[in-house]
This record gives sequence, structure tokens and C-alpha cells, in this order.
Amino acid sequence: MTAALAASLSSQGHSFLSPTGVEIVFVLVGLAVLGAAVLTVSTSQLVHAALWLVVALGGLAIEYLLLTAEFIAWVQVLIYLGSVVVLVLFGLMLTRAPIGRSPDADSGNRWVALGLAVVAAGTLVTLVVDAFRCTWMDLPASGSTSVNGSTQANGEVLFRYWVLPFEALSVLLLAALVGAIVLSRRHREEG
Amino acid sequence: MSVPDTVHSLWTVAASSTTQTIPTPHIEYGQLSPMLAVFGAAALGILAEAFLPRRNRYWAQIGIAMAGLVGAFVAVVVLAAQGYAGTKAHLAAMGAVAVDGPSLFLQGTIVLIAVVSVLGFAERHLEPRSSTGAPVDAFAPQAATVPGSDAEKSAARSGFATTEVFPLTMFAVGGMLLFPAASDLLTMFVALEVFSLPLYLLCALARRRRLLSQEAAVKYFLLGAFSSAFFLFGLALIYGYAGTVSIGGIADVVSGTATPTPALANTTANDALLLIGLAMLGVGLLFKVGAVPFHAWTPDVYQGAPTPVTGFMASATKVAAFGATLRLLYAAFPGVTWDWRPVLWGVAILTMVVGAIIAVTQTDVKRLLAYSSIAHAGFILTGVIAMNKAGVSAVLFYLGAYSFVTLGAFAVVTLVRDAGGEATHLSRWAGLGRRSPLVAATFALFLLAFAGIPLTSGFAGKFAVFQAAASSGATPLVIVGVLSSAVAAFFYIRVIVLMFFSDPRPDGPTVAVPSAFTATAIALGVLVTLGLGILPQYFLHLADQASVFVR
Amino acid sequence: MNPVNYLYLAALLFTIGATGVLVRRNAIVLFMCVELMLNASNLALVTFSRLHGNLDGQIIAFFTMVVAAAEVVVGLAIIVSVFRTRHSASVDDTNLMKL
Repeated sequence: MTAALAASLSSQGHSFLSPTGVEIVFVLVGLAVLGAAVLTVSTSQLVHAALWLVVALGGLAIEYLLLTAEFIAWVQVLIYLGSVVVLVLFGLMLTRAPIGRSPDADSGNRWVALGLAVVAAGTLVTLVVDAFRCTWMDLPASGSTSVNGSTQANGEVLFRYWVLPFEALSVLLLAALVGAIVLSRRHREEG
Repeated sequence: MSVPDTVHSLWTVAASSTTQTIPTPHIEYGQLSPMLAVFGAAALGILAEAFLPRRNRYWAQIGIAMAGLVGAFVAVVVLAAQGYAGTKAHLAAMGAVAVDGPSLFLQGTIVLIAVVSVLGFAERHLEPRSSTGAPVDAFAPQAATVPGSDAEKSAARSGFATTEVFPLTMFAVGGMLLFPAASDLLTMFVALEVFSLPLYLLCALARRRRLLSQEAAVKYFLLGAFSSAFFLFGLALIYGYAGTVSIGGIADVVSGTATPTPALANTTANDALLLIGLAMLGVGLLFKVGAVPFHAWTPDVYQGAPTPVTGFMASATKVAAFGATLRLLYAAFPGVTWDWRPVLWGVAILTMVVGAIIAVTQTDVKRLLAYSSIAHAGFILTGVIAMNKAGVSAVLFYLGAYSFVTLGAFAVVTLVRDAGGEATHLSRWAGLGRRSPLVAATFALFLLAFAGIPLTSGFAGKFAVFQAAASSGATPLVIVGVLSSAVAAFFYIRVIVLMFFSDPRPDGPTVAVPSAFTATAIALGVLVTLGLGILPQYFLHLADQASVFVR
Repeated sequence: MNPVNYLYLAALLFTIGATGVLVRRNAIVLFMCVELMLNASNLALVTFSRLHGNLDGQIIAFFTMVVAAAEVVVGLAIIVSVFRTRHSASVDDTNLMKL
């Protein structure tokens, strides 16, 4: 259903949204994501930072849907919103983050860092401008190409060409699991 | 079983008629066997941790780890003998892994480093025994207990040991074996994480000075995650440029021989994506090798981590990361050599000079060795810049030589102890040569090898990389290299003078008598240092034969 | 629609995340900033995947997410263990080590 929605959003003409519908959604969600990201890195209330992170990551899931990457969108919701942010919130609670403002949350070099940030953002944006200066690309309509990010299509590519990295990923998860247990489990005294 | 089946069939319909099968991917298990052996040992180690009683775990873990490593080394040798290092070099596992000369050479080196490191991890004779008489190793008895708390003391009393370090090390080694062999950027990224995460954890596990150790882990973790985010964004930009992440595919697109598509025509219209992407990949890799300006973590982490782990990290990580750097620059981006070379020149010069000069001011042995490892990263980079076959073989040789010197040096550091654990402050080392000449002489040999004095492996390595760099026209770089070697030699020799020509303090540290494990590790270090120093031709020849990348 | 807009979004997100890492001091907030950077990379990957007409970018984004999950496990284990010792998750308090 979401695939159909995304397809109808991105295919031109035959949907209740005009061709600019996708653009409107993109701009609105994009602004929300940017705003939430700025708040995440700037708010002095640590728990709020995590909650704004949820907004930013959720917005990105919508952007993935607009790009017809359905599988990735749902994995984003499941892994990021479902586990990473929850773990981060647990972390904040275990380290007893104050619910209110925490005055020591910023380091002193804020202005230097902001200057660097502006420079870096300028570089990256000019990079994109420069790279695609004289090109106007239309995204191919989703039906016409092989790129639909359905679970089936992703699964087939994943298990045909990317088997070895996938297995390495399983090893990574096992190592992370064992390592985290080593660092945090207290065992009782036994023989 | 038939009853449930029939019951299920009442409300389910078999979907088999609609499922399509996909072709089975072709995996060459034999050619991946070095990695499989190590990962298998890691998994077995975890099972042993889960099912064996505590008193049996230590020996079982050492046995499993050693068996895995020896198996992996035999596999590497067999593969090399079968010609995979030369004529039969190819891509395995659906193009994810390159089985070629540099891969096999580096894998062999990493496995040998891991053998020596595991010997160091297994050392239990240096720390005084616990009150119940249980032998004690270099790792925290229970990492979860707060340093200095009653729980920690009771854990130490009851002789707990974190034997999980062995499987964690095996995971790291497996990732390191995969990293320089990865033939696409995605596999490279996953391998980077596979070896980094266990290292972050191992850093946090020191038995003594746990605050320092935990802070080292936090610092390493945060900066490591930051740098791998850069690596990933670089990967994304390169993918945007080339439309593929395989090393061969990228090289084709860069050189313009790839099949043109409309999308490629757009993205390759100018090189901005490619160059910024390469720069960001470079940030990730240079962070791992500890090159200036991405070196800030090195001294703190080397100092805070348990010393056997520091030795492992300093040698194996460097080998793996330089291997991957070589593969990227030589196999994927030879088409833009003229763009990345000047930048890497600057990085190499900065790394050599900063590493050597700051090392002069250090007063802690582990920090001194950390800055020396930064300077050595610079020397290796000069070989990387050479961009010819001699450069590859020189770097391969240098990596092998350097890592055994490093392992040996850090193993000696574990021996010099006082009541608080290792006595790492340099002033405590004064007069060590009079108290225990053998240990001091061994350390002096390693320092001379670091300095690159003839008849040690360090000299052969430095000579090889500088020669390769000079032959490619990088003469200014070689001059800076020689000058900073001279500065570096100054502080190595200062330590030697301190050890042999100053009076020992009455309350000075004692030199612990190691078990066979550390003794073997140090002996191997000495053997390789002298062997590669006196007879470098054979190994240079081996490295030379192993210097062609497949893509 | 021009996919370049998605790349602008990705570039800005990456910069915001990187700035956050430089400005903030709480280890967990630093970690969230790194997550933002990883997500920016994912957005760029998915956009390029659409643009090039192959699925590799989406697969890589999937891998990244799993890697991020593994990273958060390890990272929080380390940060919480330090917190138990020091009762603070501020990075600048970790000052036993000096240059």
C-alpha cells in the first residue's frame, strides 16, 4: 500500500496529487527534518534532544518513501525509531540525565565550531551545486525501471550479491552483543 | 508431524506455487578459509564461555584461539602456494573479497601478529596472585564493577577473569583479515566496524588504572564512530559518482572505460563528487592509521588501554588499515593519482614531523611509543605515495617489520612494574640496564629498530620505502623523512642512555619474570627484528611477489 | 523532481551532525549527532540508488542501519560503564589524560 502511495506520488499525472505533490511533501518534510536536527544538536535538555532525533529520523523515513525505497523506510522505522532511539533514551536514563536544562551541555568552542560548520556546509552544498550544475535529472517513474525498493527486490539483490558482507554483519552483531554483556554484566560468585 | 500439518492445512494455504527461487550465490569457501577459521574460533570461544565451568575456560580459550589462528595461517600459506597470490588471483564471494598477493601477505602478517598478541593476553605471571592464589591476567576481573568498590575487590579475590577477551580478539582479527581483502567499499565498511567494535571494548578492560582505561575507550569509541561516519559519507559520494561500490567498477568509471549510462553521464560530468568522496574515505582510513591531523586519539588510547591490547592495536590495526588504503589508492583510484598525491604528501610530511617532534617531549613510555607509531605511519605513507610496484612491496615489508617491533616493545613495557602496576613513567626506567641488563638490552634493540639503525628490520623497511618514494620522484618527501628519522632517533637513543647510563633509583621498579607466553612473544619479536634486519632479501622478495592487486 | 534537492538535505544534515559532535559535550548527545551523520549518508545513498537505477545504494543504507544498531549497543555499554565510575557523561570531564 505504501509502495502504491509512493508510486502514485512520484509518477506524474495520474494521481490526485499534481506532479508537484511530491515536491510539496518533500519540502515540508525536509524542513521538518532540518529543524528537528538543529534542535537535536542545540537543545540543552538532553531528553528533548532524543525526542527531536525521533522527529528527524521519522521524517527521513518519509523521504525514503518518496524515493520509493519502501523497504529502507520500514527498516528505518524499525531499527532507528524502534531500537536505536529507545536504547539512547535508556542510556540517558541510566546516566541520570537531568530532565530540565543541563548547563554543562555545551563546550566552550561553540563559535569556532559554528564557523567550521558554516564552512563545511558551504563546501558540501557548493559541491552538490557544482556537481550537478548543468544537469536537470528527472527521476525515472518508479514503474518503468527496475528500481523499486520493495522488500522482495532488496532481498533478491541482498542474497545474490551481498552475501558475504551480510554474514560479516551477523558476526558484527554477535561481537557487539557479547562485548556489551562483558562490559555490563555482574556475575555472582560461584566456585 | 503429519497431524499438525493436516491441521494447519485447514487454515493455511501453501505458498510454494508462488515463491520464486533466486540463484544460489557462489561462495568459494576454500579461498575464504583464513577468515572462516578465525570467525569459527571466535564463535567456538563464545560457546566455550557459555558452557564450560569457569576454571576450565582460560586454557580452553587459549587453545581455541591458537587453533583458529594456526589454521588460518596454514590456510594462507596453502592458498599462496596454490598460486592465488600470483597467477590465480581473483575475486571471490560474488566479488566481495579479493584473493590476491597483497591480501594473502597482509592476512599472513595479521595472523602472526594475532598469535603473538594472544600470547601476551594469556600472560598471568606478572600480576601478583589474588588472595585465594588464583593467577591474574592484565584484564579487569569484572568489567561491570565500579573501580575501587567492594564488588571489584571481591571479584578480584574470587579470581574472576574476563576470558571473553579471547573471542573478542578473534572477532577483531577476523575483521582485520577481511578489511585489506575487501574488494568493494561496503564489505570494507562492514569489516572496519567488525574490527573496531571489539577494539573499543578491549580498551575498556584494563585491570589497573581503570579510569584511564574507560576514558580511553570512550574517546576511541566516539572519535571512531565520528570517523566511520565520514567514511560512510565518502562511500555514498563515490557511489553517487560511479554508480557502483566495487573497486573494479569504480576504477573503470574513473578511467572512463565503463559502459556509459545516462545517469553516469550526469554524475561523472565533473569530478567534485569523486574528489570529496575520496577525501572523506581518506579521513576514515587515516584516522585508523593514526596520521596527523587525525591522530588526537592515539596517545590517550594507547596509554589507557591494557598494554597487551595496545600492542595488538598498534600493530594489527595499522597493518589492516594500510592494506585497505593501498587497495583503494592503487586498485580503485589510480586514475586520479595526480589529485590525491599532493594532499597525501602534506599528510605524510605533517605526520612524520609532528610525530617525531612531539615524541621528544613525552615522559611516559606508552605515550612515547604512541607518538613513535604516528611518526611511523608517516614513513609508511611515503611508501604509499610512491604509487609503483616497489611502493607496494616496500609498504608490505615495512608493515611486517614494524608490527613485530611494536609488539615486542609493548611486551617489554608489561614487564617493568612496581606496586601500582606497570611503571610507565620514563624516569622510573632510569638505570634499568644495570638492574636487569637482558630486558633493557631487548628494549634497546626494539628502540634501535624503531630508529632504523642498520642490521635491524627498521632499517631495511625505511630503506625500502624511501627508495620506492625516491624512485617515483618524491625526493623532498624522502629528505623530510630522513630528517624526522634523525629527530626520532634522538629520543629513542635518549631512552637507551637513560636505561644504561644513569643510576638506578633505590625505589625503582622491578622487572617481573614472565611466563613462557610473554617470553615467547618477546623472543619472536627479537627474532623477526634481527631476521628481517640481517636477511631482508628473502622477505623483500616475498613482498615483491605479493604486490599485484586484482580488481 | 530534481533529486539534487535530496542531496542538499543530506549535505545539510551531515554538517549539522558534524557540528554537533564538535559543539556538544555529553557523550550520548555526541552519539546522537553521529547518528544524524549516518542518516545523512543513508539519504544520499538512497537518492543515488534511485538516480543510478540500481539497488546497491539501498542495500548499503540497510547495512548502515544495522551497523548503527551494533554501534549504539557497544557505545552505550562503554558510556554507561564510565558513568558508573564517574557519575557524569560529560566528555570534557574525561581529563585524566593530557596531551
